[in-house]
Amino acid sequence: MNQDIKLGISLYSFSTEYIQEKLDLEGVLKKARDMGYKGVELVAAQMVPEYPYPSDAWLAEFKGLLQKYELEPVCWSAYVDMGIRSDRDLTEDEIIQYTVNDLIYAKKAGFPLVRTQHAISPAIFRKMIPFCKELGMKLTIEMHHPHHPDVPVWQEYFAIMRGEGKGILGFVPDFSIFQTMPHQLYLEQAVALGCRREKLAQIIEIHKTTKDLEQIEAGDFNELERHVAKEMFAKFSAPGKVEQLKEYVDCIFYIHGKFYYLDNDEHDPCIPYEEIIRTIRQSGYKGYIASEYEGHHFDETVDSEVQLRHFVAMNEKLLNCEL
Amino acid sequence: MDFQAYNKILICKDAIENVVVEGVTVGYEFKIKYPSYRGVFLSCIEELRFAIDGEPIAKQDIYFYLNGKQFLIDELKECFKEYWFVREKATVRVMKPGGITPGAHSLNVFMKHRVPYTGYFGQYLVLDSDMTDTLTAK
Repeated sequence: MNQDIKLGISLYSFSTEYIQEKLDLEGVLKKARDMGYKGVELVAAQMVPEYPYPSDAWLAEFKGLLQKYELEPVCWSAYVDMGIRSDRDLTEDEIIQYTVNDLIYAKKAGFPLVRTQHAISPAIFRKMIPFCKELGMKLTIEMHHPHHPDVPVWQEYFAIMRGEGKGILGFVPDFSIFQTMPHQLYLEQAVALGCRREKLAQIIEIHKTTKDLEQIEAGDFNELERHVAKEMFAKFSAPGKVEQLKEYVDCIFYIHGKFYYLDNDEHDPCIPYEEIIRTIRQSGYKGYIASEYEGHHFDETVDSEVQLRHFVAMNEKLLNCEL
Repeated sequence: MDFQAYNKILICKDAIENVVVEGVTVGYEFKIKYPSYRGVFLSCIEELRFAIDGEPIAKQDIYFYLNGKQFLIDELKECFKEYWFVREKATVRVMKPGGITPGAHSLNVFMKHRVPYTGYFGQYLVLDSDMTDTLTAK
């Protein structure tokens, strides 16, 4: 067994069951434990009823549940909700105060690390260092599609993470940055809305080979198919370079194993897990890769546990095979 | 085409109930949930409209209830401290003398809502959740 890299779970993976009220927070935690997970991530704005100011009573209950199911709090996920006001965006000072709030409640709930978003800006990110030091907390930015290490702002972030923020500020690569084609649930949604399967297959083939969008615009495709083609070309034509994970591994504190749909224990057709996991193993990364099932945005009838079991089986093979 | 699946939770299946004040039936009410995987502040709701049996409901006939408080539709955009937890039902009360007739009614809910963390480039993703369902009035 690979001892350095552990599979954890973002409880967000159970969004379908949680939102449909088939599982409550305890149910989600129990399910995670029953599936063999130890490390958990909580999306606070999803599962904390009193967010953003959870009461001590709620916090005590939550910590009791973690203890009961022998789970380890790994990551408290926060947002930069700069658009909550209707009259203006939050100011820099307000974003700092909201982020401090998340650091405080994350600490109270027992989490050592907060994940925020790239919209925090390099200036604010740097200003968070004294708060993190005071609280003994780590703060990370998720690197999510359409970002990747070569997006200019990330060079600024890396400089801060390696400079005055060393060991305190880091990032969380999300595998959406490596996605090369639409997932099955998206395609099914497109079919339900009026795309023809054979046309979708043609669009995927063109995207994979010639990348000639004009061929689609000039060809026999209906309006929705053209829309899907445009979306596909815009989203999946510049995936991140997996090899770069090695270059920035010193700044990686946590990883999001994003996936949308798996129909077996072996392979994800949209995200190159074989290459990603091999690269992470070679990079020397030690820590958690969170299982992050996100198909729930596209189809609420899919059983999250089945998806997660495929994910764990696939990744355990990749983590433990010969390099 | 992202973020579509959650629209299905917008209209709750609870029965429509008449609202009786000291023996006087002043209107009826039904329940809705925030159509997302996460909670938000009420200020992120940019538009909220309803139609019953195809008839639009006038804004001035509507009260919105959440977290033990009552809001007018035009007040929602100012409620940036009022958090709507994603599993919490809000109650929508419609003032209508005599209430609603028992039986099946078609309810349409239209909500335009801003995803508050998407404004990286100055513009926010604003979603339209437009759902119609048949509810039963008691």
